[in-house]
Amino acid sequence: MKKLLLAFSFCVVLVIGCDKLETPAPLQPPPEKALLIGLLPEHNIFKQVRRYEPLADYLAKKTGVPVRLKALTYRGNVIENFQFLKLDGAFFGSFSYVLAHAKLGVVVLARPEHPDGISSCHGVIFVRKDSGIHTVRQMRGKRLALVARATTTGYLFPSIFLKRAGVRNPETFFKEIYYAGSHEETIDDVLDRKADVGASKNTVYNRFAAEDPRIGRDLVILGKSDDVPENALALRQDIEDSVKRKLVDALIAMHADPEGAKVLQAFGARRFIGSTDADYRPVMTYTRELGIDLADFKFPTEE
Amino acid sequence: MKKKILIGLGIGSLLFMLLGAYIIVTVERATLRLDQLVKLHQVEILRGHLLLQIKRVQTDLAWSGTRYANGVDTIVSHGIQMGKVIDRCFRCHHSPQVMEGLVDLKSQTEKYEDFLSHVLTLDANRARREAEKDEAIQRGQDLIATVNGIIALTSRHLESSTQAVFRQIAITKTMLFLLIAMGLLILMTLGFFFIRALTSPMNILLTATRRLKGGALDHRVEGLKDEFGELATSFNEMAGSLKEQMQKMRRTEQMVVVGELAAGLGHEVMNPLAGIKAAMNLLSEELALNKEDRDLFSQIVEQVVRLEALMKAFLNFAKPPKPHWERVSINGVLATTIDFYLVSHRPSSQVFGGIDIRKSMDDGIPRTMADPIQLQQVFLNLFLNADDAMPNGGALAVRTLYDASADSIRIDIKDTGTGIDPEILGRIFSPFLTTKPKGTGLGLAICKQIIEQHDGSIRAENDPAGGALFYIVLPVKRGEEEVRAA
Repeated sequence: MKKLLLAFSFCVVLVIGCDKLETPAPLQPPPEKALLIGLLPEHNIFKQVRRYEPLADYLAKKTGVPVRLKALTYRGNVIENFQFLKLDGAFFGSFSYVLAHAKLGVVVLARPEHPDGISSCHGVIFVRKDSGIHTVRQMRGKRLALVARATTTGYLFPSIFLKRAGVRNPETFFKEIYYAGSHEETIDDVLDRKADVGASKNTVYNRFAAEDPRIGRDLVILGKSDDVPENALALRQDIEDSVKRKLVDALIAMHADPEGAKVLQAFGARRFIGSTDADYRPVMTYTRELGIDLADFKFPTEE
Repeated sequence: MKKKILIGLGIGSLLFMLLGAYIIVTVERATLRLDQLVKLHQVEILRGHLLLQIKRVQTDLAWSGTRYANGVDTIVSHGIQMGKVIDRCFRCHHSPQVMEGLVDLKSQTEKYEDFLSHVLTLDANRARREAEKDEAIQRGQDLIATVNGIIALTSRHLESSTQAVFRQIAITKTMLFLLIAMGLLILMTLGFFFIRALTSPMNILLTATRRLKGGALDHRVEGLKDEFGELATSFNEMAGSLKEQMQKMRRTEQMVVVGELAAGLGHEVMNPLAGIKAAMNLLSEELALNKEDRDLFSQIVEQVVRLEALMKAFLNFAKPPKPHWERVSINGVLATTIDFYLVSHRPSSQVFGGIDIRKSMDDGIPRTMADPIQLQQVFLNLFLNADDAMPNGGALAVRTLYDASADSIRIDIKDTGTGIDPEILGRIFSPFLTTKPKGTGLGLAICKQIIEQHDGSIRAENDPAGGALFYIVLPVKRGEEEVRAA
């Protein structure tokens, strides 16, 4: 009987308590607006997103700023795409960053350092060993697969390479020039004989060479560029400095955090290091040599 | 019966446990099968979901490059969803064969993603773009065909598994019903046999009790076993005891009547006999009789004396005197009796060869409360009977023995005479039974009466080697002082 009375009293308290619960709860601060970060394809776009997802989750957890990834392609005008998708930032390649910096004023924050301690990359030009191509002259009338016009290793360097070899007009020198859209695709296309000459960056080339023995066996590199910074995170200039600071701090310190170290290992980097505009001088040299006006740079669809 | 009940309970418990264990195992198995079935259905749903995801990506691909195309980000999101669905397939446990198929499917999907990515990122002339797109769509169709094949295979497997599970459940259900029915039948049979095993002997005992109540004292219970057998033995012993007590009571009643009759008859007969004897003696002295008449008178007097002796013995039997209890040594009483027998009753057989008396007395016999005169009467009677049975001489063995366990004294008196006629052996102690021409037939009856007055027993049998053998058993009775001292 005593237990019944206690249970009844408990129910009464609960009912009274329910009335109190209906009073409006104090307003919680709205969740911070998510940062939209674009990913430019270095390789298969799906793999690219999957590779960066753990990093985005980690940054969101450490900074308290939600981070959402958006797949971004080099197709068309990458700067307009950036604006159209209302992105807050992106992991830019060296030339795309230089372009975005010039046109949109984005600011570079940090870039990954590879496990071997290198945080830069360079462009390579390669052909199939059995293609009979050993010199630029032998490339005449062949098909050239570039990555994208907004890439250093996939456009600037091959252009410089050809120019230095005396090719005045690549459009007529080659039977076909096209943009595969990622470094991986150019390698695949040359391997699969869809193209005769390809250009990509060495880090992707080496990673694929480690995975696919055909690359070492069937391809040969004919030229390489100067080092340029690896893809780096850059944000719009108008993003709050506190947010930028949080992101930089989280990225720079993540190798010292066990959880961050795991994410870095899966990402394929040793750590993140700070990056500045000074790191992009080789790109500026290339653009000057090619006579590119960054403010007036035209993308293929605009020509 | 207790053992049978325990065995029955044990069998019942074992059956119950077996049935319970079978039911638990069966329910467990059925649950497991149903769980597997649910998982198969989940797999089928997952496969269907995967097919939808692939078709969605294919649609994205088909519309790409047109004004209705989804954004790259959306298409990438759809592709990643497709990959996640395949990854979920790997979470379930599969056979190596299925796992091999899944690995192949994943590899095919990754290739499809490669083509898809190529189409999405490619910036080339129309012909190359169309060619890449066509190849990607073809890869997508191949993937759809593969998934359809897997779905068809899963559906067939699911169908056959469902049928198998339903069959198993139906069999299990039937088995359960059968087992429960069998269990009930076995329990009912066991119950029937146990009830019968209990009620049948009870009825026999009840019937016997009723018959005993009706006066059938000779009725005995036969054929019962176990505890009921023991009960039947006790019942039979009780019936025997009852019969014996009834006989004793009847005899006591008879003896009372005979005693009263004898007392009356004694007065009525003894006085005229005394008168006749006195008159006959007077006449034989006063009358001048020739020798023949005098002998006739003597015979008359002799017969009158005999009639007096018979009447005295009859009175003694019919109305025995009460024992005068005193602590006596049985060995002493026997020795006195043997001496008296040798002195007062010269054995008739001495003329021919004499009686060889062999004594074997147990010195450890304790003294007991008894009437020494009455015991002497018993022993002397037995010695005289032995003497009569050995007209040509023989041996008379007297032995005493103390049985400490029963606290009783046994007296054996054996002769080497002609023995007892087997026809009368069973009623040797009955009154008026005699084989002697001048016997009264009351000697052994009185002996039995005296021994029973001492709470003892007497029985007779023939020795296979020849002669008669009398066994007397007397309980040791201790006086009150002796009991107190102990």
